[in-house]
Amino acid sequence: MDTGSHLPKTGMIGELSETRYWIYLLLLPSLVIILLVIAYPTIYGMAISFREMRLTRPGLTGWVGFKHYLVMIDDPVFWVALKNTVLWVTFAVVLELGLGFIAATALNRNVPGTGIFAVLILVPYFLPNVVAGHMWALLLDPRLGVINDILVRVGVLGSYKAWFADPNTALAATIFVEAWHGFPFFALLLLAGLKGIPHDLYKAAAVDGAGPIAQFRLITVPMLKSVIAAAVILRVISLVNSPDLLLILTGGGPGDATQVLSLYAFQTAYKDFNFGYASALSVVMFVILMVFAYAYIRLSKIGQE
Amino acid sequence: MATLSLQNVQKSYGGLQVLHGIDVELEDGGFLVLLGPSGCGKSTLLNLIAGLDDISAGDIRIDGRSVIELAPKDRNIAMVFQSYALYPTMTVERNIGFGLEMRGVNGNERSAAVKQAADLLQISHLLDRRPANLSGGQRQRVAMGRAIVRNPDLFLFDEPLSNLDAKLRAEMRTEIKRLHGRLGTSVVYVTHDQIEAMTLGTKVAVMKGGYIQQFADPQTIYEKPANIFVAGFIGSPSMNFVTGTLTSDGRIARFEASGVRVEIPSNSDEMFDARPAVLGIRPEELKVDDGESAMLTGTIDVVEPTGPDTMVTVRIGEQPIVARLPSRFSGKAGETVGLIAHVNSMSLFDYQTELRVPL
Repeated sequence: MDTGSHLPKTGMIGELSETRYWIYLLLLPSLVIILLVIAYPTIYGMAISFREMRLTRPGLTGWVGFKHYLVMIDDPVFWVALKNTVLWVTFAVVLELGLGFIAATALNRNVPGTGIFAVLILVPYFLPNVVAGHMWALLLDPRLGVINDILVRVGVLGSYKAWFADPNTALAATIFVEAWHGFPFFALLLLAGLKGIPHDLYKAAAVDGAGPIAQFRLITVPMLKSVIAAAVILRVISLVNSPDLLLILTGGGPGDATQVLSLYAFQTAYKDFNFGYASALSVVMFVILMVFAYAYIRLSKIGQE
Repeated sequence: MATLSLQNVQKSYGGLQVLHGIDVELEDGGFLVLLGPSGCGKSTLLNLIAGLDDISAGDIRIDGRSVIELAPKDRNIAMVFQSYALYPTMTVERNIGFGLEMRGVNGNERSAAVKQAADLLQISHLLDRRPANLSGGQRQRVAMGRAIVRNPDLFLFDEPLSNLDAKLRAEMRTEIKRLHGRLGTSVVYVTHDQIEAMTLGTKVAVMKGGYIQQFADPQTIYEKPANIFVAGFIGSPSMNFVTGTLTSDGRIARFEASGVRVEIPSNSDEMFDARPAVLGIRPEELKVDDGESAMLTGTIDVVEPTGPDTMVTVRIGEQPIVARLPSRFSGKAGETVGLIAHVNSMSLFDYQTELRVPL
């Protein structure tokens, strides 16, 4: 009897699996998907920024080179939006980080019942932006808002205030809502970081004579440095990218008091149907965010070492 | 340098009492080892001495001064942790000097003190590194440096050698003994390793279940264990126990079991008649004697040469005992063998209470 017949018949795939090309074959499906859904739209979007494409003027088309970028330099709304983006992201992240730290520190104490609070604190984060936006729009409503009512009753306010309609308070009010919505993200990551700090370090510090403030400054913060940096970078990227909360609360108004880059690009594309200019705005955001993305990648590589 | 006095120290967590009235006195410059298995309360006791946990009742005195109301930093103690607890974000130099830094010692004075401690521990070349770039043994030395630099009244060691491999552990043990001899500072040292306890301690407190089982110098604990737990915990391989009966007329105590007949001179006035008892004999005390005087007679079960010695398991009746015999021992499994030991090296325990029977 031919003993060779017991071996499986080696077909073409079988032979290929023995070569170094095999891994490329296995990677092929994911590479195709990535090219289709990430690389192609990104490059296409960038390409549009060098073209004229307005749905309101179908005839106006063709390559225009850097025209949109030159227009942008003289566009006052762009500069306001850029300034607002910086303000909005900076204050929101600082507030979220602060609140997150307080929440994480509180939850890290092994007091009975903290489990329930851990879930409660996460609730804002579970709410979609749209839901959170509508909820706060109602809470801060100039006629029906509960918060206005409470502030007037307590005596802080003389009369009901239109928080989102006043250019002086609109940006601050949206930052407040964003901070409420986003701080659980920091709380969660910081809590994980806190749990990773060995308890012995605090014991050693207590014996060495470090009080609670020195322990926080010299042990907790340095030990959480990489967690804080990673969380801040991720949060900045997601804040710069998402116009949804502002779209619901203010639509960028009053005037351009709460206009940010992402919202401006969104409105340019879907209200003015000026895709060329919207793409150029998006490319500028993309470049800004690449800096943060690069920082994040550098950081995670350092973390690996 | 200081004395340490623990007086009726108790600790409870909620309804759970983990320390039941611990009394210990340590002389100035002494080396107290708290020895016991996991969960015996030894680390809790150390934390109480350090002030990292609050005492439930009793008193702790360092140099005659009650410290239970003082914060850890005010007790003038230094502690070395099992995990070393080095601050990962600081250099070795800052780690060692951290206690001085927190006490406001100025830079120059601090550097000088750190350098002196580092020289003593031979880690001067590591001062610029961070803990992550050190080996286990080096981290251990840094942790010790952090303790000695402050020149405290009392060193507290919490299983400092447990994370080291066997060779390094032996080296560091010697190093700790040398340091203690040189600095003369009183030490409280927690361990579950009886070799560390025997080699380092001037006093050993063997603990179990929140009670001190025996508090004595190492030699006494080895030679005259207070109960079966202590006898079994100290020594490797551990002491052999044979169950039988004890009869005493006040002059001669006779222990008998199947294959065992031992007569021990007694000074005790107590007389027993076939009282259930346990005989304890250390493996290293046993010698082969096939003559009339053999105290234990049985069948060789297993012979295990280890190089310098040969471990022989002998079945005496139903009870296996281990003898550490010279490597030239030539007996084979299945052969009958007689064993003797010096009567002074034997221990007798009451079968019921497991306490040592004084003879």
